[in-house]
Formats: sequence, structure tokens, C-alpha cells
Amino acid sequence: MPFINYENREISFKIVYYGPGMSGKTSNIIFVHKTIAEDKRGELISLKTSEERTLFFDFFPLELGHIATFSVRFNMYTLPGQIYYEASRRLILDGADGVVFVADSQRSRYERNILHYQLLEKNLMLYKINPKAFPIVLQYNKRDCDTPIEIGTIEKQLGLEDVPVFEAVATRGDGVLETIRELSRRVISQFEV
Amino acid sequence: MKALTMETSNINTQKLSDVLSDFIAETDSIVALLLNKDGTAIASAGSENAIDTTAMAALIAGMFSATREVAKMVGEHQFSILLQQGEKRHIHISLVNEHVMMAVVFEGFHRIGRIRYESRKACKTIGAALAITDQTNNNQKVISIPEFKEVALNLIDSIFTNK
Ligand SMILES: Nc1nc2c(ncn2[C@@H]2O[C@H](COP(=O)(O)OP(=O)(O)OP(=O)(O)O)[C@@H](O)[C@H]2O)c(=O)[nH]1
Ligand SMILES: [Mg+2]
Repeated sequence: MPFINYENREISFKIVYYGPGMSGKTSNIIFVHKTIAEDKRGELISLKTSEERTLFFDFFPLELGHIATFSVRFNMYTLPGQIYYEASRRLILDGADGVVFVADSQRSRYERNILHYQLLEKNLMLYKINPKAFPIVLQYNKRDCDTPIEIGTIEKQLGLEDVPVFEAVATRGDGVLETIRELSRRVISQFEV
Repeated sequence: MKALTMETSNINTQKLSDVLSDFIAETDSIVALLLNKDGTAIASAGSENAIDTTAMAALIAGMFSATREVAKMVGEHQFSILLQQGEKRHIHISLVNEHVMMAVVFEGFHRIGRIRYESRKACKTIGAALAITDQTNNNQKVISIPEFKEVALNLIDSIFTNK
């Protein structure tokens, strides 16, 4: 549900990076932020703990450009993955137009990925959104770890069918742009007035 | 759900900006900002250039929604006003309706009575304006969706590409 401001001629979409603690959400957004042209991005704001964990959210506005007479913006958010921040996650998810789910490919994190994906679906339903019809992209991050989880296992466990999947090493930027590009395309494809 | 939210998004912001400008004139505040609970700025007035209203809207929405959850924990539906007192500058935030809030940055804490009074008035006017524009603002401003999508997809491909 993008926000359309007819007077200022602005359309804003909300994109949220979701996933378990330490999966690499902030690393994703940092890479996107530093890669895109300077005139297309606002400042990156990070509300974090002294240990660099996301406390509330990271945020930056991305100017997609002008379309017809509108300037189109993606408001980019990450949320905190630590389990006890569930209430904060729910708040940040409110009004989202699309979600990048950043999974952690380390075997020890498998259960956490599943749990958080289930929480994502539950939270979307709380906002009366059908997760199956909502733009979500699944990213297997940390592909550089030893014996990463096999691609396909998370989808299979959760019964996901049409969710696009990407492999990434967010700290190097591998797969990061591919992921956000596909999610953005899906968000736009679902756009209707 | 989708359609409903879209409608409430189609707001005539000129009217809202006028209300905010009047508010600034009445109270001599620095900035008045109207934002929705998703963290998007809807309208603003005053010395906006001095403040990054985009970032401010995102942060205030987060703050307000967090405070609302805290309110629920202590058995309140929500706190309708938030006040942040600084050394020189202060922020007064009030709820317009379930989805929209108004934030005011001002100097001189002794003005708080006036700010509070004028905020309440402005919120009422804005709330009424939002209720009307929700229903009327749909026709002449339609976007051509196929064209919009085509251009947007091209922009996306060019922006999110490794160079
Ligand atoms: N080896 C490796 N490390 C990564 C990768 N992505 C992120 N990290 C590291 O994992 C740690 C956590 O990354 P963040 O991006 O802060 O994770 P987050 O998901 O934002 O974590 P929370 O905010 O606590 O939910 C950091 O030390 C990163 O450097 C990756 O692809 N490979
Ligand atoms: Mg983080």
C-alpha cells in the first residue's frame, strides 16, 4: 500500500529486510546504500546497540526517479532480528509493500530461519495481508560459511512455492543487488491504484 | 485492505500545508510536520530546509508506535501527546487520527501552552480535511498503471546493477 501524495507528486513504497538475528540484514542495506548513486539516496540512519546490533531499525530513503509527473521513493528499512524484539518487528512491518527475508546459511541457524519466517507470516496476517500473495524474496546469506544449508531446504520446510531465492554474501555485496532488484520488481508489479 | 489503504493515501495535501502554515504563523514554531504511521511525511511547513523531514518522519513514527505499545502495557489505549524537552528546542507530537500524527519543533518552552492549544485546533481541522479528501480525491488524478510500471521496472534495473 504505497503512499501517494498528489500535491507533492510523490509515491513512497516501504521495503523491509526481515530475518533472524545476525543474518545480515544491516549488511545488506549498508551495501545497497553505498552502491547506489549519491543523488539517489538519503542518509542511512541506524538505531543500534553498543554492540552494533539493530535495536529498532536502519532506514534510508532511496529515490527511484521520476515517473510521469511523480517522484518515486523506496523507504528502506531493516528490523532487529534478536528474538526479544518481536514487538518492534511488528511495528516496522506495518505498511510494508515488500519484504526481503535474509536467512542465515549456517547450519546452526537453520531452526531460527524457520521460526522467523513463520513469525513473519504471522505478523503479515496480523495486518490482514496474505503472505502467499505478498512480495517476498528469500535470500540465503552467508554462503561463504562452512557447509552452508542447501538451497531449497527452507522453502521445502515451509511449503513456499513461488518465492524467488537468491544466494548472497552480504559483507562482500555478492547477491545483494540481485535480491533487492527482484523484490523491487515484484513490489512494482503488484502496484495498483 | 489494499484498496482501503490506497484511498486513505490519496490526500489533498495543499489544504494540509495551509493548516500547518497557519499553525506556524500562530505559534512561531520552527517546523510543523504531518506524517503517517508508516513513517512517511505527508505535509510540512516552517523552516523545513533546516531539518531532514524524511528521516524525522521515519524516526518519529517509530517513536510513536513504540510509545503506543508501551501505553498498552500500562493499560492505556495510547498516549495522545508526546513531549520531548531539549535545552533549546522541543518537540510536541500529537495524534490526528489512528494513522496520522503532527510533530512540531519549537523553541522557548514557555510557549508550550500555546503550542498545545493550537495543535489541538490544527489536529481537528486536519482530521476533518482528511475525512473529506479520503472520499473525494480519486478521479482526475489517476496514474496510468501500465506506463508507470514499465518506467519503474526500467529504473529498478538500472539502479540495482553492479557497475
Ligand atoms: N561471513 C559472513 N559474515 C556476514 C555476512 N553477512 C553479514 N555477516 C556478518 O554477520 C554479522 C551480523 O551482520 P548484520 O548485518 O549486523 O546482521 P543483522 O541481521 O542486521 O543483525 P541484527 O540487527 O542483530 O538482527 C556481522 O558481523 C557481519 O559482518 C556474510 O555474508 N558472510
Ligand atoms: Mg541489523
